Amino acid sequence: MENVRQGDLGKLGLLFERYKRPLYGFFYGMNKDQELSEDLVQNTFLRILKYRHLFRGEGDFKTWMFHIARNVGHDHYRKNKIRLKEPVENWENKLSHSEDRSTQWQQLEEHQMLALALERLPEDKREVLLLSKYQDKKYKEIGEILGCTEGAVKVKVFRALQELKSVYQQLEKLM
Amino acid sequence: MEKEKFDALVTRFNDGTLSAGEMADLEKLIEQGVVDLTQLKDLELLDQHLAKVDMGRPSMRLDDTFYSSLAEEKRRARRSTFSFSFPEWNIFLPRLAWASALLVVGFLGGYWLTNRAASPDVKQLTQEVSELKEMMLLSLLEKESVSERLKAVSLTNDLDLASDRVTRALIKTLNEDANVNVRLAALDALKPYVSQDHVREELVRSITRQESPLVQVSLAELMVAIQEKKSVSELKKLLKSDKTPREVKSRIEESINTLI
Repeated sequence: MENVRQGDLGKLGLLFERYKRPLYGFFYGMNKDQELSEDLVQNTFLRILKYRHLFRGEGDFKTWMFHIARNVGHDHYRKNKIRLKEPVENWENKLSHSEDRSTQWQQLEEHQMLALALERLPEDKREVLLLSKYQDKKYKEIGEILGCTEGAVKVKVFRALQELKSVYQQLEKLM
Repeated sequence: MEKEKFDALVTRFNDGTLSAGEMADLEKLIEQGVVDLTQLKDLELLDQHLAKVDMGRPSMRLDDTFYSSLAEEKRRARRSTFSFSFPEWNIFLPRLAWASALLVVGFLGGYWLTNRAASPDVKQLTQEVSELKEMMLLSLLEKESVSERLKAVSLTNDLDLASDRVTRALIKTLNEDANVNVRLAALDALKPYVSQDHVREELVRSITRQESPLVQVSLAELMVAIQEKKSVSELKKLLKSDKTPREVKSRIEESINTLI
């Protein structure tokens, strides 16, 4: 990133190649929309390019990148406030109308179920878990992104994991 | 609290028999770093599974749009940077002399050629090349690929003076293109033409047609830069709209205050 800051823009391609997938995973985990996630990754890198002079080089690039990504995401969600949010109970009704309900559920692998449970979490909890996933549980860095202490991040992750567990168990019961 | 008590708390959590009060104690210990999240078996297992959940991979479209934007930025950076250092003057001076000589020869040659007669053939050829560029640009703007459309927009920089047809196409792109980056690029490309009345009018009209905060703010900034007071009423409409994000509203308010 230091090279990019000093004007060697070609090096941004290397950073893009290294981080496009985790960044995409973060956005996709948040919105489940492939095209939108790709646009948000693109916008994040455009912002990195635009504000490259603000990268102080002291901290980790990945942390800075997720900080920007979060802002890009927030800008988008602020613009589109309507988000699909259904409580888990509604899923039961929806699925009971489907003839091949059991087949549908059987087809769901454990990880798919987990992804589905993650999708059902409130946005802030989903976000902290995705940051933990893609920031390799570096809670201090996540604290820098979220603007809170390392201890506070741990508590947020703890609460989010508990809720994830609860939603996961509810989904299991529906199987 | 002693270590045994911490351990007992963790054990009860793992057994699922923790009271609400104890849960609050556990959260405090987690915050202080006394209890590690990895000690909480169920959650640790869940976290491990979560780490393995595949969120998929982006398509080639992302590479396509990113690399075309990067190429455009590199081109812009090359255009805007010029640096020299004194130790290089020894090498630079002879080159400068040579370039100056060539420039003088070129200037004299050009002067002689234009005075001899502004050849209608050359004029026509220039006109044809310009039209060809415009045609290419207009057809690229219709392409599905975002990078092709960005390329088209950037081509306008090569035109000495874009025709009405091109500025109209850029305005259409600004208003209707599905991609925010293309719309922003179109706005950028229209800046040299703001002295034209119809371009200014269309830009003002475009304000309320934009949904992207980035484009809205860019347009507001442009209105301030060109001191287009007619835009105030359109900008006020954005302020009234529920769809406009709060941050954008405050930027727009600043723009309006500057314009009034």
